[in-house]
Amino acid sequence: MAMEVTQILLNAQSVDGSVRKHAEESLKQFQEQNLSAFLLSLSNELVSNEKPVDSRKLAGLVLKNALDAKEQHRKSELAQRWLSLDIAVKAQVKACLLQTLASPVPDARSTASQVIAKIAGIELPQKQWPELIGSLLSNIHQLQPHVKQATLETLGYLCEEVSPQVVDQDQVNKILTAVVQGMNASEGSSDVRLAATRALYNALGFAQANFSNDMERDYIMRVVCEATLSQEVKIRQSAFECLVAISSTYYDKLASYMQDIFTITAKAVKEDEEPVALQAIEFWSSICDEEIDILDEYGGEFTADSDIPCYYFIKQALPALVPMLLETLLKQEEDQDQDEGAWNLAMAGGTCLGLVARTVGDDIVPLVMPFIEENITRPNWRQREAATYAFGSILEGPSPDKLTPIVHVALSFMLTALMNDPNNHVKDTTAWTLGRIFEFLHGSTVETPIITPENCQQILTVLLQSMKDVPNVAEKACGALYFLAQGYEDVGAASPLSPFYQNIIEALLTVTRREDAGESRLRTAAYETLNEIVRCSTDETAPIVMQLVPVIMMELHQTLEAQKLSSDEREKQNELQGLLCGCLQVIIQKLGAAETTKYGFMQYTDQIMDLFLRVFACRNATVHEEAMLAIGALAYATGTNFLKYMQGFYPYLEMGLQNFEEYQVCAITVGVVGDLCRALEDKILPFCDGIMTQLLKDLSSNQLHRSVKPPIFSCFGDIALAIGENFEKYLIYAMPMLQSAAELSAHAVADDDDILEYTNQLRNGILEAYSGILQGFKSSPKTQLLMPYAYHILQFIDTLYSEKDMDDAVMKTAIGVLGDLADTLGSHVGPLINQSVSSKGFLEECLSSDDGLIKESADWAKLAISRAVSG
Amino acid sequence: MADEDVSPQSSYHRDAIKTSVHNTSAQRRRQLAVAVGKERREALIRTKRLCREAHFDDNEASLEGDMNIEEERAVLNAQASQIIEDLKSATTYQGKGAAQKKVEALRALRRLLSKSEFPPVKAALQAGAVPLLVQYLSFGSPDEQLLEAAWCLTNIAAGEPEETKSLVPALPLLVAHLGEKSSVPVAEQCAWALGNVAGEGDELRNILLAQGALLPLARLMMSNKGSTARTASWALSNLIKGPQPNAATELIRIKGVLDAIIQHLRNLDDELVTEVAWVVVYLSALSEAAVGLLVKSDVVHLLVGKLAASERLHLLIPVLRSLGNLVAADSYMTDKVLVVGHNTTDQILLGLIKCLKSEHRVLKKEAAWVLSNIAAGSVGHKELIFSSEATPLMIHLLSSAPFDIRKEVAYTLGNLCVAPAKNAEQPSVIVHHLVALVNRECISGFIHLVRSADIQSAKLGLQFLELVMRGMPNREGPKLVEREDGIDAMERFQFHENEEMRTMANGLVDKYFGEDYGLDE
Repeated sequence: MAMEVTQILLNAQSVDGSVRKHAEESLKQFQEQNLSAFLLSLSNELVSNEKPVDSRKLAGLVLKNALDAKEQHRKSELAQRWLSLDIAVKAQVKACLLQTLASPVPDARSTASQVIAKIAGIELPQKQWPELIGSLLSNIHQLQPHVKQATLETLGYLCEEVSPQVVDQDQVNKILTAVVQGMNASEGSSDVRLAATRALYNALGFAQANFSNDMERDYIMRVVCEATLSQEVKIRQSAFECLVAISSTYYDKLASYMQDIFTITAKAVKEDEEPVALQAIEFWSSICDEEIDILDEYGGEFTADSDIPCYYFIKQALPALVPMLLETLLKQEEDQDQDEGAWNLAMAGGTCLGLVARTVGDDIVPLVMPFIEENITRPNWRQREAATYAFGSILEGPSPDKLTPIVHVALSFMLTALMNDPNNHVKDTTAWTLGRIFEFLHGSTVETPIITPENCQQILTVLLQSMKDVPNVAEKACGALYFLAQGYEDVGAASPLSPFYQNIIEALLTVTRREDAGESRLRTAAYETLNEIVRCSTDETAPIVMQLVPVIMMELHQTLEAQKLSSDEREKQNELQGLLCGCLQVIIQKLGAAETTKYGFMQYTDQIMDLFLRVFACRNATVHEEAMLAIGALAYATGTNFLKYMQGFYPYLEMGLQNFEEYQVCAITVGVVGDLCRALEDKILPFCDGIMTQLLKDLSSNQLHRSVKPPIFSCFGDIALAIGENFEKYLIYAMPMLQSAAELSAHAVADDDDILEYTNQLRNGILEAYSGILQGFKSSPKTQLLMPYAYHILQFIDTLYSEKDMDDAVMKTAIGVLGDLADTLGSHVGPLINQSVSSKGFLEECLSSDDGLIKESADWAKLAISRAVSG
Repeated sequence: MADEDVSPQSSYHRDAIKTSVHNTSAQRRRQLAVAVGKERREALIRTKRLCREAHFDDNEASLEGDMNIEEERAVLNAQASQIIEDLKSATTYQGKGAAQKKVEALRALRRLLSKSEFPPVKAALQAGAVPLLVQYLSFGSPDEQLLEAAWCLTNIAAGEPEETKSLVPALPLLVAHLGEKSSVPVAEQCAWALGNVAGEGDELRNILLAQGALLPLARLMMSNKGSTARTASWALSNLIKGPQPNAATELIRIKGVLDAIIQHLRNLDDELVTEVAWVVVYLSALSEAAVGLLVKSDVVHLLVGKLAASERLHLLIPVLRSLGNLVAADSYMTDKVLVVGHNTTDQILLGLIKCLKSEHRVLKKEAAWVLSNIAAGSVGHKELIFSSEATPLMIHLLSSAPFDIRKEVAYTLGNLCVAPAKNAEQPSVIVHHLVALVNRECISGFIHLVRSADIQSAKLGLQFLELVMRGMPNREGPKLVEREDGIDAMERFQFHENEEMRTMANGLVDKYFGEDYGLDE
């Protein structure tokens, strides 16, 4: 069955494009025509030591790609295809792979390891290939180091691919024993030791039982700590990665090792190579993450407790930890501010310092202040920058009482530095620090204001001046202005910014037009800051915002004039259009919301809509998500008048709903459908057939990202609210979908917080759909059509109540639906409601809720139910 | 085909603390946009939930003593005054979008008046809502404006009696907009407002009748559009409620009304059928002319069909009452329509049995009442009822049901035991019915009635005791009555102020428990 594929595989790596393309085509064809033969050929290629290493490597890679894909839908399709193959073929492929682990060629072994893990990921959950782990473990006792290394690597990948539940404890013990032995300092081969250390990283998730046993844990920890002192940098790095993983998975088991770990990490941060030192810092950041979460739960309103106790490791380590981190701040790279993805010791150290501040609060301040005072005026820019950076890092966490006096002193110093410091790096960090000051210590909730009428003008003058500085500094100045404006968000009529409003807007517009505004994302920052300024405008400054409308429209118009763009230019045009549409979105929202500005603004809507449609027309198959978002705002502002735009807009709406690949676009479009429903009310009816068809298609697709599903359900509710009893014809499609989703979500096994959160979003969407449909049909002669679904809806609410894992949002919506049922179906559901547990226990619970919104819904539901029951 | 990095240690690192504003701001802006949508959805749901639909309003005031009610009221009142001011200024506004402005102001008022358990109707009235709304109803106004104005008036009319009365100046225009030249939604909304007004009392009904509301509403009821016919029917049933019967008679004489009633009763929409059935209730209760026409039409068959098929309380009540009115009012019903052996007769009996079994008091009572009227019919009717499931049900109800149901049931059971009276003779007893009832211990139930303070019921009880004492074989009757403490119950009337009862009771005691009583033994 197998055939020679060597040449094709080599051709597939040819430098000659056409040769390569032809070879790739042949491989694809082969795979489609005869999968068994294809896989056999590839595994034969991989196992043959006579074949060239390049063709073997690629054979393994192609094999891997035939078993696994990133995209979930494709992934399960490939798994099914593998499972359905002839058992003899699979056995032969697996035999080749296991045999390859003994190959003298490292690349062949490594590729085979990964493929074995992929097959294990498919077969072990099906209780197939039970002998795999046993046969791998028997390899460990082989003397040849390269076989041992390949086997450990395979075990590591295997632990990454399969979930711990699939492997029984006995085998887990054996895997861990093999791995930890491989890590041991007595292991002669450093390749074996590295492979073992990397394998442990993946196997940690399997070691719950072992970490609960003191002796086993001590042993594992000792081996890991020893490995951090290995001669090999890669082993050290990998061992620290294990420590990081242990810190988050087994935080509560670390107490007795912290002293040693501190010594090890401090040494690494101080002396080791950067990749190792970064991981050592990461250990402490990760401990901060854990303690912040725990303390968050301690402080939480309802639980005031956490499953895991806080050991206050950071607090205890503080006197030594802070100096260690401050040292790293002095190790900046030149020009790191120009590189968005940069990550080095100084950045990691400052980030960790910020986390430490959030963990311990006030206690950090006296430990950092001497460093700042010592360095902030030094001639060496590194010292000034490090001091500023340290200050900026600790502004979140400590209490305003502690920080405000210091900030008062620091503020004018910072403003001067931003104007006069000769070093861009220092100015960049200074502007960022000002932004942090405004973000955390300025706003309506802060008792003692940092910004006073006296210094406000000075601050603005400096920030506007800095917006003319080099792009990275100007960008940070925009950020500071953003937070400054945000702090005045709910200040009311007399905003201290009002006198400068015109100047601020002009300065920001000037920034957007800078030649170099493409650098450091300066243009984006300027537009987003402009948006924040618009959002925070008051009645007083509304006329200035109104004047901005034609300006932004003109800018958008100009982007549409450009013709015959290169793909690079097209991307830039697209980005700029996004910024301008985003700006219009905020303006529309602002001006459309107030009666005083609404009518004046209406004169522009025709032209704005025209521009949006032209932005859409710029593209072929996709819609611009920012334009879509802005249209949602426009619909609110125009209300039923939006009807006149519907004909032109509808095709793009449909296009947005069909966009599976860019699921955010799809999600935004679904939201816009809701906006349209509320704006057009029953006038949306003629478009509903098309919209519902798309939404139902979206729901049935397993390609669509799951996060879009809850909003689609809510959107059913929006449509039903808008068109009332006309929703009748969609009931037979929508109700079964809601019903099956409800069943799934009611009993979701949600042991993982993310899954629980998603499940609750889904439940909320489903309940919002029910609410909308019930309220939509209320007082219509057709309410009877909903009777067949009443039982299921009640059962859904009953189940949610008994599952006890819904969040407040779901609780509020669920009790509302109970009321809606009673309200719409009246005495017909009286007996049903009387029988349900929700009508008693759940209602009682909601009535006594601390959450005002839940209580309000419950009060209403109680009234509706009492009417229905007495009906 | 590029090779992949096989190292598990990727270049991943956490986000740096020093970030640029663009990373978070765009995200935040989008979240805000989504949050706005969510907020508006919730606001809309809240409004819908609180929207009081006059149609189904049971005038039940909220029992919730909420601390914030006063504050809420104050806020709503202030909003009402503000909106009325907006409405006033919109009347004079001439600029661009004037029509839109008017509609929006009206819509705001309408929404406010639909809000909460305590719509600020009073405040709106004090601010001068009615004259303004009358102005907005003027001829030639755009439909949307008319609709919203009529809607506002509908909500006001749903309020307290005084508030409803304040609509009087608006009535002529509301009636005028019912006409054929109006668009359907406008006419329907006006009908709704007028229905609320007519429901308030006979004073307002008379005003409306004098202003000619009947004919256009009747025309509207003939509409093929379900919601229009339903609203018009509802308004009509409020309008012809009486107590004077003229309106009902006038209505049935309008050409096409009976046909429309028949057509709508055939409809599958229960809500429509319910409202039309209420029209039939008042027609049959108040107008002999209407009864004469109705009993000879398809209406009876259709009502019987609904009675047998429906499970809806709201529908069954007017259907039962209509049938009861018709059976009670015209012997044509038992003689010619509900003939024993006809399918309709079997159907009505099954429907009535269903109602007797129902949990609902009103249904039981009305069903027993209809049955008592049928049981007053021919011997054939009596035998049909007696042999049906209705009898054991009624025997049970006689001992267990609330008083008013017991009374209706007693009438029926009594009627089952006497043959139709010929001339002025004492009606003859149907002995085997009587024996069967007595054997199932009905006497105590009737004696209970004798003891009742309600003269009618007491009389009914006495009449039944008379039947027992006269009709039971072997002159067993008096003993049975005595055993159940019947003598004591009758002697209550020895010196009763009601002469008829006194004579009747004393006569019975004398006749059956006189000096000769007990000598046989």
